[in-house]
Amino acid sequence: MLKEKIEKILLSVQKPSRYIGGEVGSVIKDKSKIDVRFAFCFPDTYDIGMSHLGMKILYSLINERENYWCERVFAPAEDFEQLMRDNNIPLYGLESLDPLTEFDFIGFTMQYELSYTNVLNMLDLAGIPVYARDRGDSLNNIVCAGGPCVCNPEPLADFFDLFILGEGEEVNLELMDLYLEHKKKGSNRYEFLKEASQIQGIYVPMFYNFEYNEDGTISSLTVSEGAPETVKKRIIKDFDKVYYPDNFVVPFTEIVHDRASVEVLRGCIRGCRFCQAGFIYRPFREKSTDTICAQTKALCENTGYDEVSLASLSTSDHSEINNMLSKLIDYTESERINLSLPSLRVDNFSEELLEKIKKVRKSGLTFAPEAGTQRLRDVINKNVSEEELMNTCRISFEGGYSSVKLYFMMGLPTETDEDIVGMAELAQRVVDLYYSIENRPKGRGVQVSISTATFVPKPFTPFQFEPQDTRAEIERKQKLLVDSVKTKKIKVSWHDPDVSILEAVLAKGDRRLCDVIYTAWKKGCKFDSWSEYYKFDKWMEAFEECGVAPEFYANRKIGYDEILPWDHLDYYISKEFFVRENKTAHNAVTTPHCRNKCSACGVTKHTGGKCFA
Amino acid sequence: MLRLRAVFKKTGRSVYISHLDLNRCMLRIFRRSKLPVWYTEGFNPHPYYSFALALSLGFESECEIMDFNITEDISLEEVKERLNAVMPEGMGVVSVSEQKKKITEIAKAEYCILIDAQNTEELIAEFNKFMAQDEINVEKKTKKGIKTVDIKPAIEVVSIVANEGKVLLDMRLPAGTKTNYNPTLVIDAFREYAENTFEILKIKRTGILCENNEIFL
Repeated sequence: MLKEKIEKILLSVQKPSRYIGGEVGSVIKDKSKIDVRFAFCFPDTYDIGMSHLGMKILYSLINERENYWCERVFAPAEDFEQLMRDNNIPLYGLESLDPLTEFDFIGFTMQYELSYTNVLNMLDLAGIPVYARDRGDSLNNIVCAGGPCVCNPEPLADFFDLFILGEGEEVNLELMDLYLEHKKKGSNRYEFLKEASQIQGIYVPMFYNFEYNEDGTISSLTVSEGAPETVKKRIIKDFDKVYYPDNFVVPFTEIVHDRASVEVLRGCIRGCRFCQAGFIYRPFREKSTDTICAQTKALCENTGYDEVSLASLSTSDHSEINNMLSKLIDYTESERINLSLPSLRVDNFSEELLEKIKKVRKSGLTFAPEAGTQRLRDVINKNVSEEELMNTCRISFEGGYSSVKLYFMMGLPTETDEDIVGMAELAQRVVDLYYSIENRPKGRGVQVSISTATFVPKPFTPFQFEPQDTRAEIERKQKLLVDSVKTKKIKVSWHDPDVSILEAVLAKGDRRLCDVIYTAWKKGCKFDSWSEYYKFDKWMEAFEECGVAPEFYANRKIGYDEILPWDHLDYYISKEFFVRENKTAHNAVTTPHCRNKCSACGVTKHTGGKCFA
Repeated sequence: MLRLRAVFKKTGRSVYISHLDLNRCMLRIFRRSKLPVWYTEGFNPHPYYSFALALSLGFESECEIMDFNITEDISLEEVKERLNAVMPEGMGVVSVSEQKKKITEIAKAEYCILIDAQNTEELIAEFNKFMAQDEINVEKKTKKGIKTVDIKPAIEVVSIVANEGKVLLDMRLPAGTKTNYNPTLVIDAFREYAENTFEILKIKRTGILCENNEIFL
């Protein structure tokens, strides 16, 4: 039993309740009655991983099956990792406290590129070989991954036995069922993987082999063992009826999103050209108002949370938004529950609803115009006009708000200095608006924060072909922005461009990056998304040693006819669509959202001609 | 309105819930139980409850005290059952009664400490010598900074015995609104004094007491 060893070191680390389990809602089973054990791993700390909705859904879904047991695993913080290594404690599941080596599946969710090194570190902590090729023949410890980053899993291909593309609610159980069959008949690892590759949504990278041209681009892809030429992602057709947990694991320690969360819709109708989530989660599907209300009630009652938030890419796009919010607010008010409404546009609400929302909305105001000028907003297809932004700000200022946060991206395709200065000018007009309003909050000045992130071109977007700005160029633009701000009422902040560079390389990379990631990890890189741990110089050394140039992936304009590392993965959106959208972007022409006009993204080819937008 | 006092335990995995986290945890326990618990009136109403003493992280206890109010007439047995149905692993309500004594009557807490040592008899002898000193001065953090206090007069050793190769120390220390001594204060002072090395395996609070050693309830 690891428990005693763990308890001996627990009181010498920060927030020990993260490492011992036992939370309300966690599922404990008798392991002698379990056929398949699944370790759901989040490659970041408990505080972050426990906030992830996908894990909550799949955790409960697997545990609904009597003979399957899903447990949670997170990356230990540095202090605990050190003590684990010093005391020979391998990484373990939080429910049973059994080491990961005892699990059938080690499943990671890949939410962001900068968590890749943590995967290697966690496997190593568990005593499981980091490279898939070193794991032998036996049918256990199948290391797999899902989540948005696996839409281009190539930089991770050497570390995983298989990837799960798309939504997991059905395919995860199909995969476990197949595994159980093979376990019963005593198959080896290879036999299982070969058959698993026949399940739609399962990508087994060892059956796919890339060849490269002299210029570094991909020349060909060979598929073996009868695996499909293109692997299609999975989607849930009847989203209103899809499994949703009526209980969450309720943590003791405070986590990033410490509240109940109800998913109201999947997919997005907007088509912002930089946004990967806006494309890879298509088609758009929504839950009915009744389902949303019932799920909210069940979750709040079972968890005891006094706060619930609605999860989606754009809650305002729900077709029954007025009715739905009205009903929800009636419930949450009567039960003294806070309703938090992220990603909500308030411009088209009735006065009555606006009054209701005002009562529950306590968080600050944030807007994401993304670009400083209308021209550039048209290029990226962010269909937000300045008029709409000003209108919403006016309503908010009149309602008592006095601070606004504006999110922008820097380094967008076709961006000029005018667009950078435009950010400062837009912020200035928000300041001016505030002082033009007579019934503005008394005795308070306005505070406008400009927050900029460096644009990262992502696979499965119309901007996948675009180069990222170099670091020097980003730094020049940041200086220009700061110089363009003329008042202390506007504050400027930005993300570290070094982090965005690595993000671009890992997002668009191919299999040759596996060794770079391995080398960087060996040099001590982990928690790369935490600025205090990020070691850019170590990463650059790793690229150098592996003979891989990061610029090739981040700063190169990619031809439309080039074979991309993710071309054999089908996320239901056609490459022709992305090419078309890319060209339209360069003409600064917008594409209407899906409800106004179908832009033939290709998704209906896979849904029997139906689009649910 | 019923003014109630619950005695609850914190054992097993739940000993790693910090006092701050216990507050949040209890809020959710009350909400899950759906008991008609009294809410504070004010800008941000929340269920009212308060803990008599904070319990250090890692300490076990079966005698923690929490006061709260109920707005409807419900049997004490039912209150206990409904809370127990929604408690995390390792936590549980031992009893529920009406509030009798005032919180300010709490004067001491009793602790049982399980110690691992190479030679139990030697350690016990050394502890008795340690306690026979005229003064035991320790540095104690207070709001005003660190100051030196003689804790000797406040320590009441109930017993120290060897048991199955371990040492069991039972002692009472001041607790409550005026003075609070954590048992680690005594242990750390003893560690400095002792030539034998030892390891603390478990600390359990076994009683919350009034000045005359009567159990506080």
